Amino acid sequence: MRFATDTGGTFTDLVIEREGQLHLFKSPTVPSNPVEGVLGAFSVAAEAFGMDREVLLSKGTQFIHGTTHAINAIVTGRVARTALLVSEGHPDILLLREGGREKPFDHTVRYQRAFIPRARTFEVPGRFAAQGNELRPLDESAVIRIVEQLREDKVESVAVSLLWSIIDPGHELRVEQILNERLPGVPVTLSHRLNPSLREYRRTISTAIDASLKPLMDRYIGGLETAMQDAGFSGQVLVLTSQGTMVNADEIRRAPILALNSGPSMAPIAGNYVAAADTTEADTIVFDTGGTTFDVSLVRAGHVPFTHESWLGRPYQSDLTGFPSVDVKSVGAGGGSIAWVDEGGVLHVGPQSAGSVPGPVCYGAGGTEPTVSDAALVLGYIDPDYFLGGRIRLDLPASRRAIAEKVAGPLGLSPEAAALAILDVWTENMVQAIADITVNQGIDPTAASIIGGGGAAGLNAVAIAARLGCPTLLIPEVGAGLSAAGAVVSEVGRGFRRLFVTNSDDFDTAGVRAKLDELRSEAQAFSAQIGAPADATHIDYFVEARYAHQVWEIDVAIKADELEGENAARALCGAFHDAHERIFAFRDENSMVEAIAWRAQIRCKVADTTDLRIASEAAGEAADRHRQAYFAGIGHAEVPVLAFERLPVDVVQTGPAIVESRFTAIVVPPAVTFRRSMSGNLIVQPGAATANNSIKS
Amino acid sequence: MENNVLNGAELAILINRFEGIARKMTNTLYRTGRSGVLNRARDFSCCIVTADCQLLATADSLPIHVLVGPDMMAQSMKDFHPDLRRGDAFLHNSPYHGSSHAADHVLLIPVIDDSGKHRFTVLTKAHQADCGNAEPTTYMGTAPDVYAEGALIFPAVRVQENYRTIDDMVRMCEMRIRVPEQWKGDFLAMIGSARIGEQEILRLGSEVGWDKLEAFCGQWFDYSEQRMAARLATLPEGVATASSTHDPIPGTPPEGIRINATVTSRPDEGRVTIDLRDNIDALPCGLNLSEACARSACLIALFNSIGGDIPRNAGSFRRVEILLKKNSVAGIPVHPTSCSVSTTNVADRVTHAVALSIAQFGEGFGTAEFGAFIPPSSAVVSGLDPRTGDPFVNQIFLGCTTGAGTPYEDAWLTYLHVGNGGMCFIDSVELDELYQPILVQERRILPDTEGAGRHIGAPSLLVEFSPVGCDIDVAYCSDGRLNPPRGVHGGGVGGGSNQFRRKKDGATEALPAAATVRIHEGEAIISICCGGGGYGSPLARDPHRVLKDVQDGWVSEQRAREVYGVTLDRSGGLDMDATQSARERAGA
Repeated sequence: MRFATDTGGTFTDLVIEREGQLHLFKSPTVPSNPVEGVLGAFSVAAEAFGMDREVLLSKGTQFIHGTTHAINAIVTGRVARTALLVSEGHPDILLLREGGREKPFDHTVRYQRAFIPRARTFEVPGRFAAQGNELRPLDESAVIRIVEQLREDKVESVAVSLLWSIIDPGHELRVEQILNERLPGVPVTLSHRLNPSLREYRRTISTAIDASLKPLMDRYIGGLETAMQDAGFSGQVLVLTSQGTMVNADEIRRAPILALNSGPSMAPIAGNYVAAADTTEADTIVFDTGGTTFDVSLVRAGHVPFTHESWLGRPYQSDLTGFPSVDVKSVGAGGGSIAWVDEGGVLHVGPQSAGSVPGPVCYGAGGTEPTVSDAALVLGYIDPDYFLGGRIRLDLPASRRAIAEKVAGPLGLSPEAAALAILDVWTENMVQAIADITVNQGIDPTAASIIGGGGAAGLNAVAIAARLGCPTLLIPEVGAGLSAAGAVVSEVGRGFRRLFVTNSDDFDTAGVRAKLDELRSEAQAFSAQIGAPADATHIDYFVEARYAHQVWEIDVAIKADELEGENAARALCGAFHDAHERIFAFRDENSMVEAIAWRAQIRCKVADTTDLRIASEAAGEAADRHRQAYFAGIGHAEVPVLAFERLPVDVVQTGPAIVESRFTAIVVPPAVTFRRSMSGNLIVQPGAATANNSIKS
Repeated sequence: MENNVLNGAELAILINRFEGIARKMTNTLYRTGRSGVLNRARDFSCCIVTADCQLLATADSLPIHVLVGPDMMAQSMKDFHPDLRRGDAFLHNSPYHGSSHAADHVLLIPVIDDSGKHRFTVLTKAHQADCGNAEPTTYMGTAPDVYAEGALIFPAVRVQENYRTIDDMVRMCEMRIRVPEQWKGDFLAMIGSARIGEQEILRLGSEVGWDKLEAFCGQWFDYSEQRMAARLATLPEGVATASSTHDPIPGTPPEGIRINATVTSRPDEGRVTIDLRDNIDALPCGLNLSEACARSACLIALFNSIGGDIPRNAGSFRRVEILLKKNSVAGIPVHPTSCSVSTTNVADRVTHAVALSIAQFGEGFGTAEFGAFIPPSSAVVSGLDPRTGDPFVNQIFLGCTTGAGTPYEDAWLTYLHVGNGGMCFIDSVELDELYQPILVQERRILPDTEGAGRHIGAPSLLVEFSPVGCDIDVAYCSDGRLNPPRGVHGGGVGGGSNQFRRKKDGATEALPAAATVRIHEGEAIISICCGGGGYGSPLARDPHRVLKDVQDGWVSEQRAREVYGVTLDRSGGLDMDATQSARERAGA
């Protein structure tokens, strides 16, 4: 048996893989003690299986854990008292960041001060140049004075990030030695080791974040392992990373930054898996609609693209993580988004959200502003008596009143038309978020399949797909727990990186080979440590390269053995031109190609999961029935409500229809065809849907 | 046409789609540009105007680039080329026909529907690394006229026909612009970006219908005008005049350039008039404004003062009357007046004069002065790279703070200059050292240079850099040493600018305000940028924020005590009692 958990803001999801089938459970998250929430989910599962929790846990071979503990600690400022050591003359790297601002005329936004305050930032005399020559030697006595100050200041963790340490790490290594001698027991993160990337801000912020997390993540992981052992689990503990992989618990202790934003990074892993079975398009867009956020990620030709620009919070108003991770774009467009009409009569949806407290008007918990969920209720898309399997009864008249008063009245529409308009504007907001990430990654939505996950995805998944022109929409059986399902099929692995600058006109074949060899040994040491057999281990290599004069590198997959001999430069250029054309739609064969960094991504297969199938016990007892629902063009209609689990395989049906499962409702507009596949997924051809219902040409 | 009255949801969706198209153009250009000024600093803008040349959507563009100008350029394209056809593209950089300054190359593409009708125009505007000026700089502050600037001027010149580039023009540019392959790369990237805008609008038109889109534009402008009128109705009624002075440089009067603005607020009508006619005639230097920049600079001050939520387009602009004089330093330039530095220095002074006028309507209105611009940390640097033997030229963006205190918040620290809206990026030290043969010795905030206030202005930033293995030319045009950024409503003055040469023996010597200086191997140039003015009395500043300023090294304990009336105790915490009594004594 394998266990995977994903601790979210509201719920802790637990997926248990037993005899090739998945079982999904949800239990409330306990923010003060996340481990308690995890064990709570196991209690729910044990009850469902009719066995003792200890017995259940003792049957597990692997426990895969996704945690928001690290990001929560940053958001609430509970990280370690951390000092930052930087090169002399450059104390404000974390304050200046990389500039940029979101809205030019919004002066209400406060500029965020440095992640590590200036008072705990220290300047280390000594300097290397871009070419790797030492301009000024390290002043060790100055370092010793700094370390004495750190001791006096009772610093709990230290980040060291010196200019050009990526070319020559000598000074950083010596500083580490001095720290270890004089401040034993205080953890240290060195920038060149953690994140050997060009651009001092990105390297420094990731180093600072990592160091600030070390003491608390060390305690957290230790506590988790002990609690799981005490509860009866004796298998392997693996932790999810932002790179869409798992690592063993010790790896997180060494580099806790790996655990940041790991939840959303799992959705495309599951998406890749699901798409492989049921779609023919090369690329896939994956979205996950929760209560407050909407996450989008991508799969490009079977690979999940990375970004070097993950933000801790809002762009430019927070910090980058500076660390390569799965590219996920998050916007505040969940089902709780509030609809409002401005003084000029234009409808807006979000960015404000009713959250879970007070929640939408229909929860009857004090919410007064109409939300997307209220609109869906008014349209009949959600069953007021069967929400979350009937656990909450929704107040339809209250939703209707709120929409009538705050949206329909000002717009001069009926409540139903207003509710439809709310969903339309909501859809457009999501489509724009998807457009941003697909432009940046060079994916054409009209040639990509799209996968919807998360509890609220079904409300407008068909509309999103139609608006983007995606030929195939897929709602996986595991959609409501997409991230936890991704964890089940994810592999153990992580990325390793080396900076090594060369170009196609003067290609340093030997130098590149040496770097690739280093990367290979590093990756192999990683797999040896987790005990993965060689035949289950795979290493992908990438070069981060660009045309001469460009400054943004793109990731280009390479075959290490092709970069040898006389044709090495040509092979590099060929791969680069193709990748550039795929992303930016043009190639410039006359231009020199510059390679900046080299990366190895190791993947070790640790399970034989072949299907992501939900065990049939999840099928509700609710019979197929009918309900009044409202659609553009036809108005009110009696539509069939079909149970997802009981849809016949490969029988094509036509909307209007609502497909319901225990966790979600999928709205299929009139004339749109859908069927359930052999793999259990709902497959929709959205072509017949009108993109923006409100706009009639 | 009665079907074509759009409701509030349709308006929301269509503006989202147009803004999305402008953003897609922006994202594409950012990733594919070649020069640092494009893809390190993001000094470019993309926007959409209607067939009748009204500004519709600007995404997150630089304010000084787009508020006014795209409309005028599109009009000149139509005037010069009545025969617009699908597949055309035009290059524009003429300050006498709606562009900002010669260094901003603009690609205009008319969007023509299947019936041959011109529907929209998309524009991509990008500051070039070099534009063929007589000196290796895109800001010729001391050029007496356009001939001395030397750049090629393109008043809406056709550069593509039938989607194919007219190579004559490319060859001309290659003969005049330094590091031509870098320019060519940017040119191709700009065409790519504008073509994406064209294709997306064509798709939108065929999906929604051109008549519906036209109806949308009219209604969106009306909506924006109505929002603007409602907001302007909240300003107090009155007439206010203020001035802001640019430091003297060669070609200006010895006392510098004093810019005067008068703002008349008529809340009952929901209108504002901004009058720039009381200003001196154009000068024999590069600081004169193009008409587009003069108008944009006024609008920037106004939009900075009325909240960030009013749409910026031809509709909201209808409520603002801007009065300009022909042949004025800040009005309508007459050829061959040089407008080489049109987007920054005097334009910023116009923004300040207008913002200070609006501030006179009462606490809660206007902003303090932002810092003045183009210190050497934002200079164009050029030379021969000893590592490759190749020439290089590029504008560096090593950091320029200049944010002003506003009624709402403290300054945005990394503003660059007011016309830019804080949108540009800052270079990485490592990238700059890799791309140019320079070494950045130092980059740090200077203590006690913030504009004191309830909301503080930015502190100054010091940057020192030197050539490595060669000499380099550093071209800048630094305002704000003699006229540092002033605060309002009791707010203090922010740090002024300055620049020095550090000689081989370590001694420093002052450098002129506007020059192209050669820095020799073994020397360094020290750049101090302006901070920003403060808003409101420093005695009204939240003491906890003052404490943070002290901890962050922005404000000394002494200054906290003397200027802010905030006393710290022995352990470095707040002494609230002492603070309260000090503030009471000071009459806060």
